[in-house]
Amino acid sequence: MVRREIQRFCIYTLFLTILVLPMVGMRGPEFEARRAFTVLSVLVGVLLLTTVFRLLRETSFYRNLGQRIRQRRDRALGKIQVLPRPVALGSLFFLLALFPFAANNYVIDVAITVLIYVTLGLGLNVVVGLAGLLDLGYIAFYAVGAYTYSLLNLHYGIPFWFALPFGVVIGSLCGCIIGYPTLKMRGDYLAIVTLGFGEIIRLVLNNWDNLTKGPNGLLGMDKPKLILPSFSDGGLSWTVVPLKSLPSLYFVILAVALLTVIAVHRLNNSRIGRAWIAIREDETAAELTGIPTTLLKLLAYALGAVFAAVAGAFFAAKLSYTNPNFFVFLESCVVLSIVVLGGMGSIPGIILGALALIAIPELFRELASYRMLAFGGAMTVMMVLKPEGFIPATRRKRELHEEELESEEAADE
Amino acid sequence: METQAFLVQQIVNALFLGSIYALIALGYTMVYGIIQLINFAHGEMFTAGSFIGLIVLGALQRMGFVESHFVLSMFVVFAMAMAYVAFLGVAIEHVAYKPLRRASRLSALLSALGMSIFLSNGMMLSQGVSDRAYPPVLGTGGIHVLGARITYGQIFIVAFAVALMVGLNLFVKKTKLGKAMRATAQNRRMAGLLGINIDKTIRTTFVIGPALGAAAGVMVGMYYGSVRFDMGFIPGIKAFAAAVLGGIGNITGAMVGGMLIGMVEVLWAAFLPSEWKDVTAFIVLILVLYFRPTGILGERVIEERV
Amino acid sequence: MMRKLCVFAICLGLVFGLHTLAAAKTLKIGTLSPLTGPYAQDGTDILQGVKTAVALVEAAGGIPGFDKIEVLPGDSACDGGKATMAANKHINSGVHAVVGAYCSSATIPASVPLNEAKIIQITPASTHEDVTERGFKYLFRACPRDDAQAAAMVSFLENALKIKTLALIDDKQTYTVGLTKNIRHLVENHGKIKIVAHEHIAPGDKDFTAVLTKLKKIDPDAIYMSTYQPEGSLMARQAKALGLRAHLLSEDAVYHPKYIEVAGKAAEGSFLTFAKAPDTPERRNFEAEYKKMWGVKKIGSYAYYAFDAANIILGAVKIAKSTDPDKLEQVIRSTTWKGATGTIKFDHKGDRGASYIIWVVKNGEFVPYWNPQTGQYF
Repeated sequence: MVRREIQRFCIYTLFLTILVLPMVGMRGPEFEARRAFTVLSVLVGVLLLTTVFRLLRETSFYRNLGQRIRQRRDRALGKIQVLPRPVALGSLFFLLALFPFAANNYVIDVAITVLIYVTLGLGLNVVVGLAGLLDLGYIAFYAVGAYTYSLLNLHYGIPFWFALPFGVVIGSLCGCIIGYPTLKMRGDYLAIVTLGFGEIIRLVLNNWDNLTKGPNGLLGMDKPKLILPSFSDGGLSWTVVPLKSLPSLYFVILAVALLTVIAVHRLNNSRIGRAWIAIREDETAAELTGIPTTLLKLLAYALGAVFAAVAGAFFAAKLSYTNPNFFVFLESCVVLSIVVLGGMGSIPGIILGALALIAIPELFRELASYRMLAFGGAMTVMMVLKPEGFIPATRRKRELHEEELESEEAADE
Repeated sequence: METQAFLVQQIVNALFLGSIYALIALGYTMVYGIIQLINFAHGEMFTAGSFIGLIVLGALQRMGFVESHFVLSMFVVFAMAMAYVAFLGVAIEHVAYKPLRRASRLSALLSALGMSIFLSNGMMLSQGVSDRAYPPVLGTGGIHVLGARITYGQIFIVAFAVALMVGLNLFVKKTKLGKAMRATAQNRRMAGLLGINIDKTIRTTFVIGPALGAAAGVMVGMYYGSVRFDMGFIPGIKAFAAAVLGGIGNITGAMVGGMLIGMVEVLWAAFLPSEWKDVTAFIVLILVLYFRPTGILGERVIEERV
Repeated sequence: MMRKLCVFAICLGLVFGLHTLAAAKTLKIGTLSPLTGPYAQDGTDILQGVKTAVALVEAAGGIPGFDKIEVLPGDSACDGGKATMAANKHINSGVHAVVGAYCSSATIPASVPLNEAKIIQITPASTHEDVTERGFKYLFRACPRDDAQAAAMVSFLENALKIKTLALIDDKQTYTVGLTKNIRHLVENHGKIKIVAHEHIAPGDKDFTAVLTKLKKIDPDAIYMSTYQPEGSLMARQAKALGLRAHLLSEDAVYHPKYIEVAGKAAEGSFLTFAKAPDTPERRNFEAEYKKMWGVKKIGSYAYYAFDAANIILGAVKIAKSTDPDKLEQVIRSTTWKGATGTIKFDHKGDRGASYIIWVVKNGEFVPYWNPQTGQYF
């Protein structure tokens, strides 16, 4: 055991040396020994720690310790569980509602962004998590929502709430248009076609100067407005209040996100949701049992697009500005990462995924240029450690454990 | 410039761009064929190869070796870059993909995406944010064919690319290791039962695929004259599209797909409004896949779960 | 499952809470610029330019009333959402002024919360007209505008180069399209030059031969490359390799030592618009200090503007003897500033006057060539 670990350590060190020294050391004509060896020693240090950790893990002391910690944790968490579900959810909601009064604008701005991505993640979850259709161009629907609202507002002065239904309709239409040619395709062919559609929509927005002002972007859309009763001049009158401040925008997106959570939760347990899962698991079998697969797959795309379009309209209204380069391929990847990292098909998982991918990088702003390096590395490490995501959906978890023996076969297909 | 010369020149441009895409697409398709994984980090391997090529070439040039032994130094540059990236490929496979071989395909895809972001930012930090100039080794000399100008650099690169592709095809068809790779691609479990070392075969794939990507990286660096940390991203996406277009998992298909994407892009930009060239490339991709859902040369309908 | 989520959220909340507590009696300048992604080079130049300004002021004894000057970097990428988050973060960290952002598409949304919070913002790089056309009180621009740059180039083409036909190439981004639009507008109004082609490339591409071969067939007298430096370098190389005879023209995003380094001989003879700064002691001082501080041989162009932007802020604090935004705004607007990019006097919109001249690449260096204000060769 020890020998094998040492052997492993030596081989890894050799690899690191080969990989790090030329790339880091040779930035100019001279070999920058100090720079290269600093980076190398940090990496070897990390490697050494993991090796020590792996060795320790085998000792009885660690095993006992691990067990004790786990017991403690279960006991502590068990106490939280004592709260009945409605009370827990109620207090959570209460906290979310009070949050803006305790936080500053920056934290609220981060929270708004997280909620936007929660909405996006849940929408993509319908397509990827439930119906099992890989989508690498999801951000296009977000763009469609943003541009629909912007154009309607700028050209016809339609306010946010009345523009939303248009956004929803156009978003779902786009979903169907993208969904239709992909019906015959499976897996990775689907991936590249959706990626292509995403890029096409972005490029059309960028090139269609007369309508979208191309890369200049659209500027000056109204914020959402609310009509509130006021009793100022004796007697009841109604005033229109534009939601300018960040806390008020927070409540709008909180409502959107909550509605999305409820909708996706209901879908998950509905006939449609179960039919989607059947399609995901075995399309041919699902079709044979009488599930209208074509219709349901289109529905998945359309519904997924609706949530993104709503989030997009909100995003455009919040910034009062939109630009095609906000909707690049990498954004689609971020949303997909939220879904997979959080746990496909699991609502709490996706919320956690959005928090992890949007809020945590904000904490590390001081890292500046190292931030994305850490982001990428953490993504791989997380996937390797927890391939099924932070919080796997209960149904899926069950499947995964049943599959333990079959997985080999599945991999062979 | 006469119409005929114009046409020939544009076709030369297209063939050249197409062969670059094809060479990158080979790496995608090989990895996909064996473990059904879209290796998002492949574009970064391409970039890494380009950087190592720059480093080695720069060092050789300072020693005055390039002038005295041009062919030998070219060989050294390509060999070093390919060897380095092969090491990188094996390391990434071991760290990021091997543990996920049995997990859901999406998990592996995400792991690859994470690696891609990690590598591209790592190269940004280690090699700087701005583009770096490649020493001009290929020269600007060339020949005229039917009024079109073809540089020696272009000829050298296309010849080298074709040689690599032919070599790869022979390797996969004739050698024992190549046969093992094909068997693994067809049915991993059965191949394992027949005594093929699956781990070794997959590792071989991660030596060859990235090494080809590195070769493409050095070529692009030498020909276009600059390297930058994020230069693998866009060719990566296009090459991935090319691999799928040709029928992913199919080596000849990757070449066909690469050429087709190059053709569409160049010929569209040559005759029609150039800002729509990428849109057209993707529309062609979608149309081809609509009528042939498994790509131009793809045969197997691969059923899998997301 | 809900439990895990709750625990995680509470932890995150705590960390964020603690995060914003730290505060001390220092003068804080925030920067907004892309530190990751394709424009990281220019973004880093901006950050380093600001840091150089701060280092010079601190070495000269700092600012009375403040123990320390702190620079808070903010990564705005080129993305409106990220830029507003970074701007809000700066607001909460209590910065007194902001230098940034780089892309106009980041500056426009980020300036909204900054202006509402009454924080002085000086952009060193966003040249789009919309940035200052919105009439924001606390927003200034230390670089000239797109329309001024286009006017200088068109004047050069009509009066000095006297060409007949012109081809435009842009890469369909906010900045580059703004320039070609302005040039097209001016040229068509004057009617002296004919625009024979307007092509587009995609940012990140390396091969522009298709478009350039097309131009070779049309054979214009000059090609205006409205791109960023990486694409500009490659385009110049490929144009020469294809044997185009046209003059190559470009703008200040290409005016970077890297342009000549990568394009090599192909860059020779290309004309670029860039602000002309007289060789003042301020400029030499900055160049010496910057090179020493960051160990570089050549300085990126946005470092100069960022340096001036930071100096204006520091100088205004010194003169106003306070960080009150209204006082600062008064001082900045009414003072004539001397900087590394020449004298700066802001107009009512917050723009500085244009001081563009035409540069030519000669023997691997940018050399002043023609002055649009006087119509004279240097």
